[in-house]
Amino acid sequence: MIINMVLVGLVAFGTTVTHGGPLHSVFNALVGVLLIAGLLFFLSTCVGILRFPDFYTRLNAAGKGDTLSTILMLVACALMVITSAHHVDRTVVLSAIKIIMIVNFIFIGSPTATHALLEAAHWSEIKPWKRNDPPC
Amino acid sequence: MLIAIEVGLLILVPCVAFVALWLRDLMSAVIVLGAYSFLMCLVWTGMGAVDVAFTEAAVGAGVSTVFFIAVLFNTTRNITFNPLDVSSKLVALVACLGFGYVLLQGVSDLPDWGDPYSPVNAGVSTYYIENAYADTHVPNLVTTVLADYRSVDTMLETTVVLIALLGIFMILKKDRPAQSDSSDTQAHDSLIIRLSARFIAPFIQLFGLYVVAHGHHSPGGGFQGGVILGTGLILMAMSMGMASAKRLLSIPRMIILAAVGVLIYAGWGAVPLVYNGYFLDYSVWESVFGSMARSHSMLIVEIGVALTVMCGMYGIYMSLVSDGGMQEGL
Repeated sequence: MIINMVLVGLVAFGTTVTHGGPLHSVFNALVGVLLIAGLLFFLSTCVGILRFPDFYTRLNAAGKGDTLSTILMLVACALMVITSAHHVDRTVVLSAIKIIMIVNFIFIGSPTATHALLEAAHWSEIKPWKRNDPPC
Repeated sequence: MLIAIEVGLLILVPCVAFVALWLRDLMSAVIVLGAYSFLMCLVWTGMGAVDVAFTEAAVGAGVSTVFFIAVLFNTTRNITFNPLDVSSKLVALVACLGFGYVLLQGVSDLPDWGDPYSPVNAGVSTYYIENAYADTHVPNLVTTVLADYRSVDTMLETTVVLIALLGIFMILKKDRPAQSDSSDTQAHDSLIIRLSARFIAPFIQLFGLYVVAHGHHSPGGGFQGGVILGTGLILMAMSMGMASAKRLLSIPRMIILAAVGVLIYAGWGAVPLVYNGYFLDYSVWESVFGSMARSHSMLIVEIGVALTVMCGMYGIYMSLVSDGGMQEGL
């Protein structure tokens, strides 16, 4: 809820920023920072999936990193739609709001999918990895 | 920049296809096929065919993966492979080569790609592009061709979905459901999954209705919207158990609704026959709707398509998952 308010506030603030002003470059920098942070989290997710020893730890990396990086990159997209538009009108704001809706659904759906996978693994009695075990 | 992305996607697509063929574990192959569909969806989006990409994302990457997994769950996930059995492979090889030869012979008769003088580009599509909006007041050209100019084709496609549903239903149908303990499915119940499925399902249904109703202004239409509506029902059947899904839409009602969808389509097209028109010629409705007659008729026809496709997806899922018993699922 709070995240949503912050996002909508950011988008609303972005609509008032004039093209080419000093705030505009600040917004562009914010978009870049968010995109790079999302990509870094994606990279760490990939490394985690490849390097972690068993199913549970791998899913830990996949669930958390994937959700966070997707959300960061989508927020960057929503801001970029606003700032890169030459003329901010209703359709631009609507597409930004649609991207924020997608953020919400990923925020709910992705952890639930991770939870479902973990529970399925638990029910099919996959043992968690212990220290000194060989990686499986 | 964009062309680099498209070339990369087009290189990835055959790679993924070969991986899907090469994997021995069928479950992994199904997942890889889902990735293949998603890549094709991206390729089509790059080419500007958003309607096709939409269908591919909903059907190829979404529902058909679920169907494949349901089939694998009730059959086997390993290929039993006998390396000494060469005869079946020889037959397959001869058949593939023969059909490939015939198809390649046929390709040489087709007009060149992008040939401006081919019959398609010279006559029909020029007419559609120039006159579609004036004729029907529908901005989305794809929907215009699909549901107005080439309406008979779409009607029979909808019938194909109905026949597929009835075929799968009748082949797998069992008279008496096998005795099974229902406690097994209850044990896997999870509060988190149930709650978030219940939270997301209304949004899925709303989006499906939007796609159906807005299909002639933006990408979408009856098939995509119907698949999305069916996905909502499948989500409920997955997370809450088949009994609660059957409370939402029972099996007899599902079959009746699927038939009603085709009936709406064909009936709406048959009414002009009474008023001295052609079959599926919506311009007769102008006395009712004025100049928007063809646009509104398209909407009604799309609703019929969406009903059939929704019930088709739901019924196929229920039949496949429960092995025809309609009692318990995955």
